Amino acid sequence: MTIRLMQGNEAVGWGAIAAGCKFYAGYPITPSTEIAEMLSRELPKVGGKFIQMEDEIASLAACIGASVGGLKAMTATSGPGFSLMQEHIGYAAMTEIPVVIVDVQRLGPSTGQPTSASQGDVMQARWGTHGDHPIIVLSPVSVSQTFDLTVKAFNYSEKYRTPVILLMDEVVGHMREKFDLPEFETVERVERIATNVPPEWYKPYGDSLSDVPPMANFGEGYRYHITGLFHDILGYPTTRLDEIDPWIERVHRKIERNLTDIVLVEEDVTESDKTIVVAYGASARSARHAVRLARQRRTKVGMVTLLTIWPFAEAEISRVARIAKRIIVPEMNLGQLALEVERIAGRNKVVRVNRANGEMVTPQMILEAIEDR
Amino acid sequence: MPTQVEHTEYMYLRPTKKFPNVWCAGCGIGIVMGALIRAIDRIGLEKDDVALVSGIGCTGRMPVYMDFNTIHTTHGRALAFATGLKIARPEMKVITIMGDGDAVAIGGNHFIHAARRNIGITAIVVNNSIYGMTGGQYSPTTPIGGRASTAPYGNIEPPMPICDLAKAAGATFVARSTVYHAVELDRYIEQAIRKNGFSLVEAVSYCHTTFGRLNKLGSPTDMMRQLKDGSVSLNAAEKLSPEERETKIVRGVLHDVEKPEYTQLYEQLVKRVQEANLQKA
Amino acid sequence: MSEPSVVEQPKAEVKTGTKKGPRGHVTVFANWCKGCGICVAFCPTGVLALDDDDHPVVVYPEKCTACHWCDTHCPDLAIVVKKVEL
Repeated sequence: MTIRLMQGNEAVGWGAIAAGCKFYAGYPITPSTEIAEMLSRELPKVGGKFIQMEDEIASLAACIGASVGGLKAMTATSGPGFSLMQEHIGYAAMTEIPVVIVDVQRLGPSTGQPTSASQGDVMQARWGTHGDHPIIVLSPVSVSQTFDLTVKAFNYSEKYRTPVILLMDEVVGHMREKFDLPEFETVERVERIATNVPPEWYKPYGDSLSDVPPMANFGEGYRYHITGLFHDILGYPTTRLDEIDPWIERVHRKIERNLTDIVLVEEDVTESDKTIVVAYGASARSARHAVRLARQRRTKVGMVTLLTIWPFAEAEISRVARIAKRIIVPEMNLGQLALEVERIAGRNKVVRVNRANGEMVTPQMILEAIEDR
Repeated sequence: MPTQVEHTEYMYLRPTKKFPNVWCAGCGIGIVMGALIRAIDRIGLEKDDVALVSGIGCTGRMPVYMDFNTIHTTHGRALAFATGLKIARPEMKVITIMGDGDAVAIGGNHFIHAARRNIGITAIVVNNSIYGMTGGQYSPTTPIGGRASTAPYGNIEPPMPICDLAKAAGATFVARSTVYHAVELDRYIEQAIRKNGFSLVEAVSYCHTTFGRLNKLGSPTDMMRQLKDGSVSLNAAEKLSPEERETKIVRGVLHDVEKPEYTQLYEQLVKRVQEANLQKA
Repeated sequence: MSEPSVVEQPKAEVKTGTKKGPRGHVTVFANWCKGCGICVAFCPTGVLALDDDDHPVVVYPEKCTACHWCDTHCPDLAIVVKKVEL
């Protein structure tokens, strides 16, 4: 173990390498560029490949192509680039190709303020691409958690054959913290399920015991068809309802039946907490500070940190909603995750603490909400 | 029925896929598919070593019929997907299959950058000068004056010279033929696949269903004959005046040079870096 | 629709009797053929003609020279020419 002073973006790079990432294609964009720069240096050292593509659309396309070729692949961007990538996020979801997309959120909309933070892409990460599709979105609170969640992102993406979004923000991305970089041999890596049947019997979207079909890589002797059109279990385009409906059900089930594995939450809540703060990303840092101050002043308040943003932690929030009279949701946006909390807990229980101008929600703002001032 | 029908093409079609193919009766895209298969067969490639990456449009529907590693991607982005696949699997032959709109309208940016990198991908562009799948809108290669569903008064935009564009951007092999000249086409595709670098083959075709109908050009047979009469070989073209040459489709290998191929350059880079890293350790 | 095909096609009527014998044997897979007429129009020796359903039939089998124009230009891969050993 080596103790380093590390930047959040750099931790993304190390997390990727530890997880077995061997391909990065990206386009420079503030505040994510350090991820690309770091990986352009480090990937060749481990026999990986790095390329700077001509735009963000091509970047995610190249990552998906490399993943089909058998390499764990990642790209990183910020708001404007994330908007460009939406079509291919949908493509990866439709074709069930593992890939990791890092969005280091800046203040938006549009060019906004590249060097300021926000949490404005929460809904876009869920619904940015057209059509009904499940997605996994993770959001770290610290540099060391950035490393861990990057590894988790790769593992989920391989395990569930789905694109996974690492929703960072400019605060965590650009901050520097002390971090114990673990030995990479100790880091758990999950590989995509390999097929165990002879090539002529392989069904690229069938034969799944756990709703996740085994994935053969191109060039390994299994020749099959991949398309963004609705397809049957052989991968061929179809318009038949008896092939489309089962696909829709299976692809949603593969996530919905595995929430205990996917939904990561840190709870610091007791049965007597009448006020509970639910936060994520950089806002969780302010929230924890506020909760500490409130408890010093003998206020009973609980803290729930969401590490998984999507699928939304319905079970956990339902539970705390039964305990609490008030749920405070601080966000660097005008209330995006709050919509989900309100949906589960009821609007009158939820207090929003918002800031969408590039500045962090301060501990003071949250403390005032806790103490109901 | 015959017990011994030998047809190279049948050995490369997917037996689990429904035939006849999806294209209109007489469409040139099926002819390009036959030419592609003959080229691959002549080179003697293993099916597992071939990947076909296509975009969206009638031409994009080609790969599913063939028994290779096939991926039908998004509109205009086949070359970007192919770039990632080729970098991950440099030993594979990666061939992209795109229509004119797919390749040089929405795909224009990826087209010029793939050519610039000289990455070992073979790009086959079937140019029928129209957006056929969506009902006949004009494309960047629709001739001036041509009518289309979104150019009801005649197209006023000059057509994009696909081959010149590829050459200027850095492609190391550029060739053009037509679906009338199907056998010449398969020779150029063979050369293009053998080429170690970014190779482009423009296969000029026609869409009798949309462009043909809107411009009263006749049946597939008529439009096939127009390709025959309207094209010249490179040698013959050089003897024409510039004005005359403008009106003809020039067939031939238009460009063929040697330059370092991208994935090989990157492998060398990786080796250099790893050796330097070992020395430091 | 449009102007008629430049090459006028006789309707089908199979001829027999050979002079030299064919160099190629033509097979048409009717299920795959969409009746576009390209093979009939461009066969250099007139081996093929359209039947009442606009599908190609072999009318002069002995005239086939195995030039392979038809089976390299069929968009549906519905026609195959096998070289006949003389």
